[in-house]
Amino acid sequence: MNKGLSIVLMSILCISLIVGCVNQGTPEKTTTTTIKIGSPNTIKAANFFDTNLGVFSKISNLTLTKMDENGKIIGNMATKYEASNNDKVWKFYINPELYWSDGKKVTPEDVKFSVEYYANKIPYAGWIKQRLKAVTVIPEENAVEILFTEPYTRTNLEFTTYNILPKHVWESIQDPMNYIQIDNYVGCGPFFISNVNLDSQIVTLKKNPYWKGKQSVVDTIEIHMYKTNDALALDLENGTLDVYYKYAGSYPYSNIQKLIDTGKYATIKKMNVGLIFLGMNLQRQPMSDVNFRNAISYAINYDEIAKIDALGYGTAPNRGFVPPTMEFYKETPKLEYNLEKAKQLLNEAGYKDGNGNGILETTDGKDIKLIMLLRPEYVRSGELVQDYLKKVGIETTLKSVDSSTWISLKDKYYYDLTITRTTPWGMLMHAQWGSGYFDSRRTGEGVLHNLSDPEFLKICDNILSTTDSGKLKIYAYDLQDYYSDNLPGITLYWNENITPYSKKFSGWYVDPLFGIYNTETFLNLQKAS
Amino acid sequence: MKMRSKKIARYLIALFVIFSLNFIIPRLMPGDPITNLLGEDYVMTEESLQELREKMGLDESLPIQYLNYWNGVFRFDFGYSYHFKGPVSSIILSRMKWTLLLLIPSILFSAILGSLMGSISGQKSSSNSYKTLTLIELAFYSTPTFFLSLIFLYIFSFKLGLFPIKGFYYSGGILDILHHFFLPISIMTIFLTSRNYMIMRGSVIQEKSKLYVVYAKAKGLSDRQVLFKHIFKNASLPLLTLLALDFGFILSGALFIEIIFSMNGMGNLIYEALLSRDYPVLYGSFMIISIMAVLANAFVDFLYGIIDPRISDSV
Repeated sequence: MNKGLSIVLMSILCISLIVGCVNQGTPEKTTTTTIKIGSPNTIKAANFFDTNLGVFSKISNLTLTKMDENGKIIGNMATKYEASNNDKVWKFYINPELYWSDGKKVTPEDVKFSVEYYANKIPYAGWIKQRLKAVTVIPEENAVEILFTEPYTRTNLEFTTYNILPKHVWESIQDPMNYIQIDNYVGCGPFFISNVNLDSQIVTLKKNPYWKGKQSVVDTIEIHMYKTNDALALDLENGTLDVYYKYAGSYPYSNIQKLIDTGKYATIKKMNVGLIFLGMNLQRQPMSDVNFRNAISYAINYDEIAKIDALGYGTAPNRGFVPPTMEFYKETPKLEYNLEKAKQLLNEAGYKDGNGNGILETTDGKDIKLIMLLRPEYVRSGELVQDYLKKVGIETTLKSVDSSTWISLKDKYYYDLTITRTTPWGMLMHAQWGSGYFDSRRTGEGVLHNLSDPEFLKICDNILSTTDSGKLKIYAYDLQDYYSDNLPGITLYWNENITPYSKKFSGWYVDPLFGIYNTETFLNLQKAS
Repeated sequence: MKMRSKKIARYLIALFVIFSLNFIIPRLMPGDPITNLLGEDYVMTEESLQELREKMGLDESLPIQYLNYWNGVFRFDFGYSYHFKGPVSSIILSRMKWTLLLLIPSILFSAILGSLMGSISGQKSSSNSYKTLTLIELAFYSTPTFFLSLIFLYIFSFKLGLFPIKGFYYSGGILDILHHFFLPISIMTIFLTSRNYMIMRGSVIQEKSKLYVVYAKAKGLSDRQVLFKHIFKNASLPLLTLLALDFGFILSGALFIEIIFSMNGMGNLIYEALLSRDYPVLYGSFMIISIMAVLANAFVDFLYGIIDPRISDSV
């Protein structure tokens, strides 16, 4: 009797669970053209300001400016823009042909509202709050003027990342960072986000019915999010997905050939604006010694590390840190692998093995035993660098920690060496050309903020003080020369971002900031014949 | 009566210690909940950081935070998650239903299959076919669940195309959900069955050499009657303890399966909360796990007493 009752109760519980889980509001199956994107970028909450949802909404809530395929900043929501001579006033002319997906016209008031909203309510837009004096609408020109309290030369660049919001929707939302919305985000791009479903791990975008520009052949975009690249690769290989997308990242190199062998996919190869580098705690000996840094730069086998870690999709870098894909790239000397030269330079700099135990000593007689702090994804590179340094008599202990611990220890300078990456946006932060990773006046999750050399800070300030492209070129060259001479970070390799896409579609457009995920791609896509 | 009071006091002390550890352990881990709120290339001003710290209650001293925490515990209010953007209780509820749907059938099926197969195998331990079965079960038991999941995913989803690779559903219909859950439930069932099988088999082998079994056989009972009327009850005690633990860890137990199948369940929630040092979600999740573990243990203590009255005197 009791057993029977238990079975009945358990059955009721299971059925209740299934029924409770049904009908969660999911994307509809349609017969129209749907592009399915597979991405390892997952969303924690259906919040518009979630990092990855913010990227996915770039084609729904346009930014004022954007980058073209060559990295040049051009208008996006703004048809054009101009800065005053002192770079304090920036004027953006808004495209009059834009409509929100609920039928209302996009106005300069929306832009004014968005700039002020970001300044007051979004923590990572603190730079706007610090400098914003006023935002003025000029109705007769369909424009907005943003007035800063001090010259701000990066305005056009910064606004490549801030999605403009419809005032009539967001003005009633007081706490946007904690606002959850599942359906129908109002957007003004060719598509709008129609559903964010974390149970099915799908973000769905649909055509904006009020879009007046070029019409896309795509009706629906589904972004399928995966917790592992292994499962994602299987769905790509069996043809379920049309394209792979990872912000600031590549399809795993080890899976590329297998995918190409299916015959269903081709790949877009693009040199990454970001890179992998060896960072050093410049506050500690011997890393604070430029001669030491220079010597160990010769101990690293760049070709080998590019071959092993990037599986041939990487190239040996220059001393100037900045990859060739960045504007105003300067051809500085190549980083060179020369073990004998490394040993000779270390010897000349006073790092000798006085007690004959095989480990070099610092000038005060202590063995050089360094701690290399690593996040799990850099352990393989770390092991290689550990091996290279051992060959010149430097002992290194690898300390692999999770991301949170890495940030915490790195911010407290509890490390000697670390391997990390830069992202495309990271390379453009602060005074651009990777300066944001080193400048000691800044903090942030991914940055080392370990360099306070007045010469470096002066170059950064020079860059930040001008929008003149002639001057910017000179300062960018100065910065790359500084990197080359002082090696505050040693690039391990420049790598390529590989994006596989289905041969069923053509017309993919790649920009240096967001890769294939941009309005041009979805407006230009054509079904292959 | 006195014994029962002692037991209750023991459980209450255990819960107090566990809840206190829930508060202390996440704070002992290096890392700051604030720094994980944004992407790696965002930079926040000191002012914004301070504002967030105040909002999250992290600007208070540790003793005050501890008192606030207990205040929340008594009101069953786990607080607010700034990472998952919502009250922790509703986040946990929305994830828990899916994890329960994945694990309850797996635990039930594996308990039935494992105990039945293990019992028969234990009784016929010299049979070649059951030796082979034991070998197979041992192979499943020694395979880590994430590897087992990948193998199954590769064969049944990728090669044969029978099941979807990710998510709880696509369209949201009941058949769609069952279609998505079939493979993960099967994997979990196979894994747990192999464990239950091994334990039950060993337990039956031990029991069948005891005198009461010889006596039952001498009475003329058939092998099946001896197994299911006499041995099974006594041999199932170790399995019961494990099932209680299963229910205790029901919410976090399917982490690897949830990751491989991109399922947003409790395992993934705890894992992500751990990585981002989301204290309120960690408190809430561990608190529920602790309560379930303690209740399940209490229930097993009670069951032990029914199955074997000798034990009830000693626990």
